[in-house]
Amino acid sequence: MIAWASMQADVAAPATPQAEIEIKLDARHVNFFYGDFQALQDASLAVQARKITALIGPSGCGKTTFLRIFNRMHDLTPGTRATGEVLLDGHNVLSPDTDVINLRRQVGMLFQRANPFPKSIYDNVAYGPHILGWSKPQINEIVEESLKDTALWEEVKDRLHRSALNLSGGQQQRLCLARALAVKPDVILMDEPASALDPIATLRIEELMQELKKRYTIVIVTHNMQQSARVSDFTAFMLMNERRAGEVIEFGPTDDIFNRPKDSRTEDYITGRFG
Amino acid sequence: MATTRTLFDQELAELKSGVVRMGSMVEQAIAESMRALVDRNNALAKEVIARDQEVNELHRQLRERAFMIMATQQPVARDLRLIVSFQHMVLELERMGDHAVGISRAALRLNDLPQLKPYIDLPRMAEITESQVHEILGAVIEADQDKARMIAERDDEVDVLYRRIWQELVQFMVNDPQTVERAAILLFLAKDLERIADRVTNIAEDVVFLHTGRIVELS
Repeated sequence: MIAWASMQADVAAPATPQAEIEIKLDARHVNFFYGDFQALQDASLAVQARKITALIGPSGCGKTTFLRIFNRMHDLTPGTRATGEVLLDGHNVLSPDTDVINLRRQVGMLFQRANPFPKSIYDNVAYGPHILGWSKPQINEIVEESLKDTALWEEVKDRLHRSALNLSGGQQQRLCLARALAVKPDVILMDEPASALDPIATLRIEELMQELKKRYTIVIVTHNMQQSARVSDFTAFMLMNERRAGEVIEFGPTDDIFNRPKDSRTEDYITGRFG
Repeated sequence: MATTRTLFDQELAELKSGVVRMGSMVEQAIAESMRALVDRNNALAKEVIARDQEVNELHRQLRERAFMIMATQQPVARDLRLIVSFQHMVLELERMGDHAVGISRAALRLNDLPQLKPYIDLPRMAEITESQVHEILGAVIEADQDKARMIAERDDEVDVLYRRIWQELVQFMVNDPQTVERAAILLFLAKDLERIADRVTNIAEDVVFLHTGRIVELS
């Protein structure tokens, strides 16, 4: 193109100050074993506070295993063992002196299928605060707040004492999220939270995640790559190695992973040329 | 890893071959429009104008096809870049076809008038742009970003010739008002060639984008 008048002065872009990065969860060289079988090998992941980090990868690559280590859910499976470090605000949650009950309060979890207790809507949300010994007014307040945070309040406020099992699948999943929020966690782990939901309910969960990340750190395992691309700030791609142990192949901003992945295995997976 | 998207890969390959086919049609149109001028061949000029409908129709089909692939296959990363780049390339090619029509129309008007001067720089300018178009199609086929960058650099040669032609034609108009009509038509014609070279640069940028995922400015 011919420039007829080259009168424009070069103007330097203003320097953007580097935002301070706060790492909430820092998994370092984590190995995980089911008996003799190694399911995770040398997995590291630095999860930023108040961001959504997605774990993607084919079935069996250790995504859910990795997620469950973050709040020691694996303790519930006999014969399992984790090595390495998972630092939550600097404290290694894998160390024997970790108060696991408190850890799971700080790091809540939402599962693939909604699993409300066979109790009332109110009791589901009040369960955790009740166990923690909060007062009745405090519990009432937190129930309302949690249901509002999950956009469920308007839908259920007139039937709080009816069974949670009468809610739709999407509402049940949001109730489970409200139950997790009621104990004031810092981190929410989500294991394919929308895989059993219809597209509208899925969208509501995804919108909620965007709201919740202003206050919480979220780590999500998803098989739905479009969902990962839509909702997450960072994405980790995991893959089984030749010994069938899961590894983190590539981790970075979601924009980079889905537009310009560095590793050809990541590109093969996200473009559907894997297998 | 084995390919598991045979149908998708086939659709991408067909899209690519459509882009190359459209490129060849445009390349031929540019060459023939210039020949219509130099040889004072009105029939050839009219043929180029008429054939532009085929280019436009292919453009429409390729855009529709690219849109359908995006809607149904949800491409990401290199696949998405490929489709987005192809969409942009066919737009540039369609415009190049319009420039060939512009040259042909100019030829039709000029061929009815006495020749202003022997055509020297214009055919040279056309030769460079034609070879740029030919070579950029090769870079698209081979997905060769280094080649694309080199082709884009030749835009400077075209710009130098354009400036020279512009100055010479303005001088004609200043010296002799009788030449204004012919010189003005030739100015528009030269501008068409200059814009074709610019569009080659845009396609070169698409080839780089295809590889790197970065939008670059090569001009």
